[in-house]
Amino acid sequence: MLEAIGVSGVRDLFADIPAEFHLQQGSLNLPDGMSEAAIVRKFTQAAEKNRHAANTACFLGGGTYHHFVPAVVDYVISRGEFLTAYTPYQPEISQGTLQALFEFQTMIARLTGMDVANASMYEAATATAEAALMARRVTRKNRVVMAGSVNPRYRSVTSNYLSRLKGDYVEIAMDGFATDVDALIAAIDDNTACVVVQYPDFYGSVYDLSVLRAACDANKCLMVVAFSDISAFALIESPGAMGADIAVGSGQSLGIPMGYGGPHLGLFACKQKYVRQMPGRVCGMTQDADGKRGFVLTLSTREQHIRREKATSNICSNQGLMCTAAATYLTLMGDDGMATVARHSAAALQSLLAALPDHVSAAAGAHYNETVLSFADTTARDRFLAAAAADGIFAGIPLERIDHAAQPGHLLVATTEMVEQDDIQRYLAALEVSK
Amino acid sequence: MTQSASNTNQYSATAGIQHEEALLFEHAHEAPSSINLPGVEGDIPAALTAFARQQPAGIPGLSEPEAVRHFVRLSQWNHGIETGFYPLGSCTMKYNPRVNEQVVRLPGLAHIHPDQPDETVQGVLQLLYELQQWLCEISGFSHITLQPAAGAHGELTGLMMIRAALDARGQQHRKKVLVPDSAHGTNPASAALCGMYTVELKSGADGRIDLDELKAHLDNDTAALMMTNPNTAGAFESDVAEICRLVHEAGGFVYGDGANLNALVGVARPGDMGIDCLHINVHKTFSTPHGGGGPGGGPVAVNESLAPHLPVPRIEKQGDGYALLHQSDASIGSVLGSIGQTGVLLRAAAYIAAFGNNHLHKIAEDAVLNANYVLSRLKNAYDVPFDGLCKHECLLTDAIQEKHGVKTLDIAKQLIDLGFHPMTVYFPLIVHGAMLIEPTETESRQTLDAFCDAMLEIAAQCEAGDTDQLHSAPVKPFRRRLDETQAARKPVLVWPSA
Repeated sequence: MLEAIGVSGVRDLFADIPAEFHLQQGSLNLPDGMSEAAIVRKFTQAAEKNRHAANTACFLGGGTYHHFVPAVVDYVISRGEFLTAYTPYQPEISQGTLQALFEFQTMIARLTGMDVANASMYEAATATAEAALMARRVTRKNRVVMAGSVNPRYRSVTSNYLSRLKGDYVEIAMDGFATDVDALIAAIDDNTACVVVQYPDFYGSVYDLSVLRAACDANKCLMVVAFSDISAFALIESPGAMGADIAVGSGQSLGIPMGYGGPHLGLFACKQKYVRQMPGRVCGMTQDADGKRGFVLTLSTREQHIRREKATSNICSNQGLMCTAAATYLTLMGDDGMATVARHSAAALQSLLAALPDHVSAAAGAHYNETVLSFADTTARDRFLAAAAADGIFAGIPLERIDHAAQPGHLLVATTEMVEQDDIQRYLAALEVSK
Repeated sequence: MTQSASNTNQYSATAGIQHEEALLFEHAHEAPSSINLPGVEGDIPAALTAFARQQPAGIPGLSEPEAVRHFVRLSQWNHGIETGFYPLGSCTMKYNPRVNEQVVRLPGLAHIHPDQPDETVQGVLQLLYELQQWLCEISGFSHITLQPAAGAHGELTGLMMIRAALDARGQQHRKKVLVPDSAHGTNPASAALCGMYTVELKSGADGRIDLDELKAHLDNDTAALMMTNPNTAGAFESDVAEICRLVHEAGGFVYGDGANLNALVGVARPGDMGIDCLHINVHKTFSTPHGGGGPGGGPVAVNESLAPHLPVPRIEKQGDGYALLHQSDASIGSVLGSIGQTGVLLRAAAYIAAFGNNHLHKIAEDAVLNANYVLSRLKNAYDVPFDGLCKHECLLTDAIQEKHGVKTLDIAKQLIDLGFHPMTVYFPLIVHGAMLIEPTETESRQTLDAFCDAMLEIAAQCEAGDTDQLHSAPVKPFRRRLDETQAARKPVLVWPSA
């Protein structure tokens, strides 16, 4: 090969790199290469240092949930044809990815009650930020009103994305662990592009959005509805039914393991009339030269590789494989399976709350599968967390870990269909030490 | 062409059974979910009845065997690295080792919640901390964040840090970002999202950054230069040190787009060349699978000048253990709702572990060798816009074939019939009819020869005037050329509800 190229050694191919920058071979401060067996051992040893939800009762939520992942999901996304394919820019040899994306978009639109969905964003926090940016484009107004009951991580990323652009970003603080719709309505002005709420909110509270919808109409601004656990919408009314213009959130609950923060799945759905302002890749139906139905990535004139600085977003990659995972999961579940997941997730929380001892209180109002428990103080809470951990239970997330402004002594608790009655009994028993 | 014909036939795109497969929504589905779900039985809680969903969403649901068959059939319509050669320029489609898939599925890595207490996740923190050190060492920087979820997200993160550093100097007015006309489209889009504006630098006659053009645009408003090195024409910017010096002298930062890092791994380090900040596409250079479009990973490495502004949370070493730092005064804040796409990052760590100090340089050496070999075989049949050696990818154009009415798109589609994924087409934008070919280091000479034979066969067909078939290619795959205009004009993005 060197002869064909016309050089005498491989290093001649790097002659255009100034000599001062050439590394001496083997001079990096890295371990030497490992065999496959050694890599498996290294990772197994590291994995064994972690506690994990596969053998621990998990009551952790806050945007990431331990739902059941059927074996078929991982089998499908392990197939090389899905796993090792590039973005389907050559549709003739990418119809598998593309049809799966089309099915994914359809099912996400139906679950969220929206007209259309895109082919995914990175995850929920960036999807929320992109929704706020889109609302600014649609309304040509630049003030974003954010409910203080939206997941603090979604708020933080959104505020970060907006902070270098012209316009206002205001967060409306909430009293207690619920969403005060009246306070949000009072914050809307003529220059407001959107109001961003979470439903169910960060504290798990389920509430009515119809009054806010009416206020948004009156002020010609958009209602952006974020969500953390999409399984809720198999049980309660969807963001679309509540009047959302844009619905964004996490699809991690749809067959994707928690994986210490990713890869997860950002969902983005909106009304048909706003589709040309939507960020991210999107798959559409068309025909091939023989008139057969096929699918392509479409509306690319919104995207960075065509529009460059005028694009609707800088996003390029999506979470393609995670879309295939979610489509597979939903296909296995169907409406019935999703309803069972949701009923079991909600029933586990109800079962826990119904038996709470007097010294622990739960947030008032309607909740799906997540709520806040309040203890006498942080010490009492942490005694409980330690006792629960010793009995194989991840009992909740100290609220201040996610919400740095939180008052002391609170615990964010979530349930899924993976929580069994016995886990709840042990949870209740461990609560005794927090007296 | 006899040898070519036999070679390409071996790699022929399609053969055997091909199943049509209905959309999920067209399947007759009477069976409810076949999944037996665990958990606590119960009806909808009383407090939620006022909010109960009135109509089911309309998720069809198939039995397990039907669902498996549906998705396996769909998979068979896809080309992937595991099915064949994928010479996509600037995309680095290398083989993805299977052991990486195995280790990330260990329960102690797959089923950990991001908000478990730090003391229960010491193993994963150790692996991620090591990865940070390894990526810094390989790229030549002192600090890094693993948080960005993709390359473009890394660009945004890097520019946010540059913005913060300029603001800290009281230079809020510096908003101009210089971007060569050969840059990826994400560069200007990321700058716009960061409240900056871009000015395009016209490439020199050799496709590289023109120093005079650069000097003419550097001034007191300059925030940064974004450069890709090697650039998207596959050429190393040999003036990199002088370029960085000029930008620094003008008070700006140099942002490195690491999309093409595969050309340098183990051979040279961007951090040594004066670049301040570099995003690393782990789904390119470090072999995490592309998954049909993602997930990716875009860690951003920085030197001391930008380190205070790194996003949070950060992974810190504390004594013998590791902890997450959630807040830091000068930080730009968070760009993602988690510490990063951990599963993607761990695959990259496993990949680097396999090569290590003694073998890492072979990645770049073999990648550059393969690209130059392809160039040497094709340079007489195709127009080569910029002379000289290339790095990990080579750039051709359709200038010769266009005389016979054959365009880059036709060549790309004919390659599909000959059994190959097309190269990157019409990018970079600085040449007409671009074909950017990146073979990567994981392809054998036999595969490269088969691909070059196919390319030469197409060139010969053009010379012979035998071009009708090229315009109608591909004919072998499951679907032929798709009507993208119709798709965009009247977008149908979801299947209508019954």
